[in-house]
Amino acid sequence: MKKLSSILILAIIFLATSCKKDEAAPKNTKQVLDFHWHSMVGSAEAALATTYTSNGVKFNLSSWRYYVSNFILIKADGSELKIADKVFLINMLEHDYSLDSVPVGNYKGFKFTLGLDSITNHKDPTLYSSENPLAIQTPGIHWSWNSGYIFFMAEGQYDSTATTLSPNKEFFFHVGTDELKRTIDFSNSPFSVVSGADKTIGIEMDFLKAIENLDLETENATHSFGALKPTAVKIANNWQAAFSLE
Amino acid sequence: MKKIYYFSITFLLLIISCKKENLPIDEYELSIPKGFPKPTIPDNNKPSADRIELGRRLFFDPILSRDSSISCASCHHIDKKFTDGLPISRGIENRLGIRNAPSLLNVAYQPSMFWDGGVPNLEQQILAPIESHFEMDFNLPDVVTRLNNIEEYKTLSQKAYNQLPSIFSVTRAIACFERTLFSGTSKYDDYIYNNNKSALTASEINGMNIFLGEDGECFHCHGTYLFTDNSFKNNGIYLNYNDSGRARITQLTSDVGKFKVPSLRNVAMTAPYMHDGSFATLEEVVEHYNSGGKAHPNKSGLLLPLNLTTQEKTDLVNFLKALTDEK
Repeated sequence: MKKLSSILILAIIFLATSCKKDEAAPKNTKQVLDFHWHSMVGSAEAALATTYTSNGVKFNLSSWRYYVSNFILIKADGSELKIADKVFLINMLEHDYSLDSVPVGNYKGFKFTLGLDSITNHKDPTLYSSENPLAIQTPGIHWSWNSGYIFFMAEGQYDSTATTLSPNKEFFFHVGTDELKRTIDFSNSPFSVVSGADKTIGIEMDFLKAIENLDLETENATHSFGALKPTAVKIANNWQAAFSLE
Repeated sequence: MKKIYYFSITFLLLIISCKKENLPIDEYELSIPKGFPKPTIPDNNKPSADRIELGRRLFFDPILSRDSSISCASCHHIDKKFTDGLPISRGIENRLGIRNAPSLLNVAYQPSMFWDGGVPNLEQQILAPIESHFEMDFNLPDVVTRLNNIEEYKTLSQKAYNQLPSIFSVTRAIACFERTLFSGTSKYDDYIYNNNKSALTASEINGMNIFLGEDGECFHCHGTYLFTDNSFKNNGIYLNYNDSGRARITQLTSDVGKFKVPSLRNVAMTAPYMHDGSFATLEEVVEHYNSGGKAHPNKSGLLLPLNLTTQEKTDLVNFLKALTDEK
């Protein structure tokens, strides 16, 4: 009996090691998936100290940031691969964001949330370490009086007179609250992740499209509550159309 | 001989206080008033002497405001029972805020913060006055940078939370200190919890009976040892509210004009009253409730004309004054 078991163990060890030996050079089953994220104003990359025009009104941007989260990759068989706990705080001046490793294969597309799910939205922001995009930022992008994040925050100046040559009055769009998160759907945009090469998806969000149906002369401020809420709803409803893939 | 006696007492006190300093975190005993339950405290912020000390220093330090001009204590004065005596609080550069500063006494028992309950706990509450443009007009990351330039704060934060000053340690420490602010040593407490029947005068007792009975109906909202049920109520002070109150958070029309029911402990020392400080005296407040309030659609059904006599109103005010802490 003892002999038999020893032989068995030896055989298993031999088989296991020989299997490894027989294998060819290991293929990666996972590769990094990156996004090259472009925050645009029309056909140009958003930039500071630049005058743009929306519906005839001149404006500039001093900052534009937005949260994207809950990435879901749609596999070839239609099943969904959720990328847990990955949140980007997109800054108009930065382009590189990484989802880390995802399984190699063909995908039908992907989707994500502009904003945060309601659980993440109401978590205590003081608990994150400073590198985490959900930590308290400078300038702030979290409402401390009602405990929730600003999903989409754009500030700058607009031309309030329609006669001056440059923007002269502050505008601010602070769009948030659970109700105003939106799914951005690219589920019919196939891509492949192949072994040995990291994949980069180029994506664009156009600010002009996000404020397409706004009259900056009258709709130039919102913090998503009360009388200023309708402007925030308009902006949130424009988000899907403001996105495109390169 | 007397000298030696005092010396031994001091020595003993020192030993006792030293012992308290060295107590492990889960054994630190808060000085909870007689008759009060233990407050619920987050697991990551159990009290310790170092944590409370760090919080106490931060609470009184104007370093938290952008121009280093105001501290937490500027709107929460100790000598005004942690209020500021103003109808609406003032921030840096004398900027006018939006609401009346509430007392911090017994804040450990509050299930939500602010007049509108917009924030669930003290740790997160601390962000709001620091960031508000009408208050400190600053931000936590910059506060943390300032604190990391001060050796004393670096040492204390390490001792208290095992890390250099951080958003975590700053918000936790101030909350930890605020949870030591109790109120429960009034003549009323002596009457109830020490069973000292001579603690209250006849007028105060009569006022208490109006308060706790169907003549005043006050106890429905201002009940329990806290003198509040921490609910949100519209008490009919306006027909149209400039400040939507609880609706600012919930966005519900049914919450317009609702504000958190405040505690009445030390109420004689926390004038003026209401979320906007619109009533200057307790007599005005009692007169308001006696009238039944204005007919706002959200007004609490508990507010009805009371038809109290002049003497009854005086008794009620006298009872409210007996809720002032003696220590």
